[in-house]
Amino acid sequence: MAAQLSFALFAWKNLWRRRLRTLLTLCGIGMAIGAFVGLVGFSRSFEHEWLRMYQSSGTDIAVVQQTILNTTVDEKDGARLQALPMVDRATPMILNLMDLTPEVNALAYGWKADSYEFDALKIVAGRRFQDGQPEAMLGDLLAENLKEKVGDTLEIQASPFTIVGIYHGGSALEAGAVILPLDQMQRLGAQQGKVTAFHVRLKPAPSGESQEAWVASAQNAIQAMLPGLRAVPAAERASSNQLVLLAQAAAWGTSSIALLIGILGIANTMAMSVFERTREIGILRALGWKSWRVMLLIQTEAAVLGLAGGLVGIAVGWGALRVLARLPQTASIASASLPLLMISEALGIAVLAGLAAGALPAWRGARLSPVEALRHD
Amino acid sequence: MTEPILEVRRLRKSYDEGRIEALRGVDLAIHAGEFVTISGPSGSGKSTLLQLLGGLDTATSGEVLFKNNRLGSAISLDTYRSTHVGFIFQAFYLLPTLRALENVQVPMLGVQRNGNGSPNRAVRAEALLREMGLEHRLRQFPNELSAGERQRVAIARALANDPEILLADEPTGNLDSTNSARIMEMLIGIQQRRGMTLIVITHEDDIARSAPRHIRIRDGRIES
Repeated sequence: MAAQLSFALFAWKNLWRRRLRTLLTLCGIGMAIGAFVGLVGFSRSFEHEWLRMYQSSGTDIAVVQQTILNTTVDEKDGARLQALPMVDRATPMILNLMDLTPEVNALAYGWKADSYEFDALKIVAGRRFQDGQPEAMLGDLLAENLKEKVGDTLEIQASPFTIVGIYHGGSALEAGAVILPLDQMQRLGAQQGKVTAFHVRLKPAPSGESQEAWVASAQNAIQAMLPGLRAVPAAERASSNQLVLLAQAAAWGTSSIALLIGILGIANTMAMSVFERTREIGILRALGWKSWRVMLLIQTEAAVLGLAGGLVGIAVGWGALRVLARLPQTASIASASLPLLMISEALGIAVLAGLAAGALPAWRGARLSPVEALRHD
Repeated sequence: MTEPILEVRRLRKSYDEGRIEALRGVDLAIHAGEFVTISGPSGSGKSTLLQLLGGLDTATSGEVLFKNNRLGSAISLDTYRSTHVGFIFQAFYLLPTLRALENVQVPMLGVQRNGNGSPNRAVRAEALLREMGLEHRLRQFPNELSAGERQRVAIARALANDPEILLADEPTGNLDSTNSARIMEMLIGIQQRRGMTLIVITHEDDIARSAPRHIRIRDGRIES
């Protein structure tokens, strides 16, 4: 059977002909897409872990002041929340990010000992802490990173805390965190009587009412009762809290710069390629190839570069996420999982970057006059 | 006499803002199935004439008609080049990254027509190369072929889309006398078997005289 030449094979042969340049360009776009996958993947896994934490504890609504980092909500409002008919449980909590050692920082939660959120945790060693005591519970991932066990003392902001329990949490945000009694967190932050938020678990929705409508009516009731506070559904809270937004903004900002550099790399490669192949483009035009077909060939080469670079980048980004998920500094908020959506986005961006980068060289190549191009040395 | 397949009227071509006149009002009619040679000294305008006849370039004034259709208006130059003419160049102009069999398929990739799908492309290219006596060189790259073999691949490529006109610009210019004779023999054989129109630009008198019709050009004008 005779070997047939397809358009794609022709494009590939043109790229393969200058392997080193193709390889270097692939590295460039690969690093750019790798940065995108690593950084945006990191921010999304952060968001995902946040949602998972809410879901595993059964939290439907978070009641907050304005921003998640403020611990300004009056703890006394908890009793009023608990009195609402649709509320099953309303529990106060404090959230903070603390340096536990010079190398390890972790999310620190302040919970009441009777918080329903303990239901989602499995205590693998020791016991639950008691309110009013300088006691701490560590997530198993954090305990492993700190090499601490039950009975050890952990110094937090110059205060000694006895580790009384190690727990396993469904979310990396829990597994890599430390939980202190709420009053101890208030003491550390000099924020007596204040909490970051109330987490609210609703009673089951009445029959015939959708969960969304039930949550919405609870939101309205809470906000009407506590003006100045916001009742935010858990899913929204997971995606729009300030920590996640900050991580997303940093990820997109850095990725955009990396992508721009990658696009310039492809553009340079394609521009050089078109210049060096001027006579060949003239041959194609002389053989009757229409301008748009020459443009399509160059754009196909650029898109193949983008696609291949995208695959390299996904591998690089996934590798970076795996490393982040193991590093003590980031293990609490990173996950090595790479959703299909993220892979599709990365490949789509890579191909679009290739097409954008190849557009000008392709246009230039397509405009060449056959006679002029054939005369080119 | 049939209608001319190619006709040029008052054809002029100048370069460098009119300072150089390559063609100075050429009139010419070539009929289907003719074998015509065009010769003349260097700079006489013969290659420019071939480029205009082949739709590679546009005239400064005058017109080129293919079957009474004006090139560039009634029929686009791209369409004309892709389906009605085949080019053979002195420097072969094969694509270095492609094997002989793939080079012949390149013009077919440039057109979309029924029955010219990808499996047919390869089969047709192989048949053309066999016709050129290159059945044992299908998978060679251009740099692995002799000059004569390269020109035979180029001829096969020129025939890829089954054109009505074959335009050859100094097809033997880079060949020794043995290969020159063989290539000309092939071209004439193809022209006769297929009833094609063959136009050869040459500076070699032997080749020029081998055609039933020989046109001499000098200083941008046809002498005879």
